Amino acid sequence: MDNITAEHVRLTIDGISISVPKGTLVIEAARRVGVMIPHFCYHPKLKPDANCRMCLVEVERMPKLQTSCSTVATEGMTVRTATTVVHNAHKSVLEFILANHPLDCPVCDQGGKCDLQDFSHQYTATSRFAETKRIFQKEYFSPLIETQMNRCVQCLRCVRYCDEVMDVKALAPIGRGTMTEIKSFGAHPLDCEFCGGCVQICPVGAITSRLSMYEYRPWMLKRADTVCMFCGDGCQITVQTKDQELIEVNSAQGAGRNSGDLCARGFFGFRAASHPDRLTHPLIRRNGALVEATWEEALEFVAEHTKRLKLSHGPQAFGGLISGRCTNEELYLFQKFMRLTIGTNNLDSSARYGHINGVQAMRSVQGTHRWTVTFEDIVQADVLLLIGTNITEANPITGLKVKEAVKKHEATLLTIEAIQPAIGTISNISNLSKQHVCVAPSQFGAAVLGLLKAVVEGNHIDSTLRQQAPDYVSAVSQAIQQLDWEDLAVSTGVSSESFVQMAASLAGGRRVVALAGQTLLRSQGAYGVCLNLLDLLLLTGKLTAQGCGFAPLAEENNDQGAVEMGAVSALLPGVLDLTDRDARDQITRAWKEDLPVATGATLIEMIGLAQTGIIKGLFIVGENPVGSLPPQTGVKEALSKLDLLVCQELFLTETAALAHVVLPAASAMEKAGTFTNTEGHVQAVRPAIDPVGDSRPDWEILSAFSVFLGAPLEYGDAKEILKEIRAVIPGYGSLGPSPIPPAVDPAAVDRYMNEGYRRDLATRYTLPARDVRQDGTVQLGLTQSLFHSGKLSTYSTGLLQIEPSGLLQMNPVDAARLGLDAGDRVRLSNGQGKFTTTVKVLDRVPEGLAWLPDHFAQDALRLFDCVVDPDTKVPSYRTASVSVVKTA
Amino acid sequence: MESLEGKRGLPRIKPPFPATHGLYNKPTVVNNIETLANLPYIVGRGPEWFASIGSPPKSTGTRVFCVSGHVKQPGNYEVPMGVTFRELIYEHAGGMRSDKPLKAFIPGGASAPFLTPSHLDVKLDFESVAAAGSMLGSGGVTVMEEGTDMVWAALRLMEFFYHESCGKCSPCREGSSWLVQTMRRIVAKRGQMQDLETLVDLCKNIEGRTVCAFGDASVAPIMSTLKHWRPEYVTLIQEAESANLIKLEPAGVRH
Ligand code: SF4
Ligand code: SF4
Ligand code: SF4
Ligand code: SF4
Ligand code: FES
Repeated sequence: MDNITAEHVRLTIDGISISVPKGTLVIEAARRVGVMIPHFCYHPKLKPDANCRMCLVEVERMPKLQTSCSTVATEGMTVRTATTVVHNAHKSVLEFILANHPLDCPVCDQGGKCDLQDFSHQYTATSRFAETKRIFQKEYFSPLIETQMNRCVQCLRCVRYCDEVMDVKALAPIGRGTMTEIKSFGAHPLDCEFCGGCVQICPVGAITSRLSMYEYRPWMLKRADTVCMFCGDGCQITVQTKDQELIEVNSAQGAGRNSGDLCARGFFGFRAASHPDRLTHPLIRRNGALVEATWEEALEFVAEHTKRLKLSHGPQAFGGLISGRCTNEELYLFQKFMRLTIGTNNLDSSARYGHINGVQAMRSVQGTHRWTVTFEDIVQADVLLLIGTNITEANPITGLKVKEAVKKHEATLLTIEAIQPAIGTISNISNLSKQHVCVAPSQFGAAVLGLLKAVVEGNHIDSTLRQQAPDYVSAVSQAIQQLDWEDLAVSTGVSSESFVQMAASLAGGRRVVALAGQTLLRSQGAYGVCLNLLDLLLLTGKLTAQGCGFAPLAEENNDQGAVEMGAVSALLPGVLDLTDRDARDQITRAWKEDLPVATGATLIEMIGLAQTGIIKGLFIVGENPVGSLPPQTGVKEALSKLDLLVCQELFLTETAALAHVVLPAASAMEKAGTFTNTEGHVQAVRPAIDPVGDSRPDWEILSAFSVFLGAPLEYGDAKEILKEIRAVIPGYGSLGPSPIPPAVDPAAVDRYMNEGYRRDLATRYTLPARDVRQDGTVQLGLTQSLFHSGKLSTYSTGLLQIEPSGLLQMNPVDAARLGLDAGDRVRLSNGQGKFTTTVKVLDRVPEGLAWLPDHFAQDALRLFDCVVDPDTKVPSYRTASVSVVKTA
Repeated sequence: MESLEGKRGLPRIKPPFPATHGLYNKPTVVNNIETLANLPYIVGRGPEWFASIGSPPKSTGTRVFCVSGHVKQPGNYEVPMGVTFRELIYEHAGGMRSDKPLKAFIPGGASAPFLTPSHLDVKLDFESVAAAGSMLGSGGVTVMEEGTDMVWAALRLMEFFYHESCGKCSPCREGSSWLVQTMRRIVAKRGQMQDLETLVDLCKNIEGRTVCAFGDASVAPIMSTLKHWRPEYVTLIQEAESANLIKLEPAGVRH
């Protein structure tokens, strides 16, 4: 219910008077006065359907009982929920619902958390029904979701959720009357987004998770409220455990930024943490092989070699790399360890793979390192622009906010995405677009230029801005006028009219949010494209207006935290420039120790330095550059040359396999700390189980190193680190229910418009190089799958059941052109190598492109060139031209 | 409207009403063909003319009644509103099929409660039929002669409601299957006395608690036959009991 300026109405419920915003349903108003009206079909996320009739109440001056879930509160209304008539009505509806119910509570996984069970208990309802019960044939539903339709109360919550919230429409009621049965639309078994929403929203045991089938009773489980370890959306989850076993994950309506919604990764992916391949003991390389060792031995080994190398080669002979999956506390301690204990700024994190592009662009133009908007602003936006987000798969919950804005609040959605608006088993955001342009990832920049050109030529430039910064406006206008509509049309495949229309929608919006995702952020030239997007918002007056802003989406759960903790070479905690003397002094005062001043090397630079033998020791925490970067970067050879490679890891990854010491790290399920989501919201991570085997949280390992190296950074627990972070970055992580976004810094914008833009405007306002496509080739792109996150999810049994391997997804037209059918084995090759995989034909893949899920692509990486952004040093290797040939 | 939009044929929650948010969310007027068929005459000859026919104030004009059942000439008869059932059945439809006395009739389609011979002089207009405890509804008049098994007749109608229940709301969905099964049992002489109480309870619990009027309608046959011909139910059950055909004792269920 959108009620920013809502009027209120006053009504009386069971004698209690309450004022609620106009439009509030009686059932909700009752909840506010503490009256819980029993219900099955009602759910605050869904439009009322009033089918179960459980929520009947008496309303004065209405002859019949009314369903409180569909009756809107009106001024002066008098509602009674506690009368005999109402009680008897509830009891009678329960009797009806129980009539055909199998009551197999003893073997029902819902037992103990079942609305039907609870209400029956409350009303001591039984059913006099003694006739033959309706029986549905048991059907195999899907590998992860179990149905027992005899228990269904036909409330249609699952069907409505899957349609209204998810926009997937995988479920439908089939049959009539008592034979109404919920089935999956189309293909059987169920093929859908596997968000688990239907499992969570079913009030009874009709839809349950197979991952934990017959394993527990709710009261046996311990609960921990924590944050999902996969993507940057940062969903709050409740992890349920039995002893040390992870049993189930769900999320509570109203809690966290996701408010009860999850994606497949969050709902079904949790067992990645309990995979049998988890490292449980420290390993030391002896005579060429990694062998088990004690912590004492491992730490001594690290300390001894570190000291030796530092003595002979100095601190610059070291580098460090950390994963954006670590907690803020670990990221903070890591950079402190590298800077103080080791004494170098050679350090980087996985934010370097793309997220930093967005952050640096925001810093350059608007002077913030975070979004100036929140998820709520997305929901309330009237115009949303999505560029290269692949939002459903990469950031599913942010995607739900977009869907909510469009489906519930009728926002205008504009999309520039490498996707075709085809309907499929998972939702497709471009189906909700008012205007969609399908553009190859390499040409996102060209599309943004097209928009800019339409804004300038269509006279959509904010009039105050013209006066305030005439030079900037005319420089941009001139630069954009150099571009020719025809060239733009060739690059993007989009006509000028489309850009003109889009620009008009954009300029006409009151609350405009532009979201940029990893498909853009990880592509070549993304930093420049982000700057241009900010120009677009600035020129149309949408950068500083209330409810407007730029929102680059983080891929890993704590990429944003990695930047904010200073776990990147050129930035200190609080995202202060290392080169800024005041900033350095501030940190020095907090740490009571001098900082190294020498510029640090970034990810790719460190690999180069290792290659040339300048870096001799590398500390890697949870990162796997050997598995993630193309071999052309020489990453494997470089790391093999090191005198000391220390890895803290969950699994023996390609990188860890090269290490001299591997230390078993605890997963996010096993430690405390905080994560910062893509909006910049800091949330508490809490352990659900004890660390597996001998593993330890990464911060403890780093702290132990420092002790063994004689420069102790000691903390009793993660909270103590957070306390220190708060001293360094005042107010960090207030842990409130929703983030308070920073405002655009006017001084920074002035600086940008007076000076900043000049540096690279000319380069940014030129068209990116076009892909030349030859016969028999496709443009191969690494994509993010909904069912995976990095490589971590490939250890999750649940997710592997949905997507066990990386298939080459291509458009039917291309498949036909190349003579390929679904399931064919194909060899992809180009000048750099070859790779064999299996074809999947998918309507939504744009013609000429082919998708390969990043998560299974290690062996395909050799096909890709790696280009490093000159400003942000982001390595980009997302697309390659390959020929596709069917193998025997 | 749902079907026209390609969806399942389910009732919509009102408000909003179709007049403001109907087909594809656009204002929609839903009318019977019969209503529309009246329009040319009303437009041509004026509303006063139309109002002069029938039984003022509310039930004016003519109406087509579809007489079926045990009459000599079943068929559609257009008569001015306000004629009596006696006239309709005995004059227009030619009287009873085998000249047996009339036992019961349904005045307005399956959802209208049954009426008895004592209601034959009720006028065919909305108010009079309502006063007699039934409704004119669809105008489908079904006539039953002496000797008709009223329990069976009620079951026959109940089968229809059970089959047609869309299944959207619990009282109608579950109630209709429950009612039909109980009725089948009674007709098959496997009923128990307490079934009668259950039937009445169930009917009351369905009535007024469903999404659409279908639920209210579905209880009419049972309620009205129980009201007027309860002894027929009792006889069937007594026969069952005396024949000791069945002593229903569902294991483990306490009532
Ligand atoms: S759905 Fe609820 S009432 Fe039904 S068997 Fe399961 S626990 Fe029992
Ligand atoms: S798990 Fe699948 S069927 Fe269930 S709500 Fe999600 S998308 Fe729909
Ligand atoms: S499966 Fe569950 S949520 Fe879906 S209609 Fe049945 S009871 Fe409701
Ligand atoms: S992967 Fe992302 S969207 Fe999915 S549950 Fe986790 S945090 Fe939420
Ligand atoms: S909750 Fe109101 S009718 Fe189902």
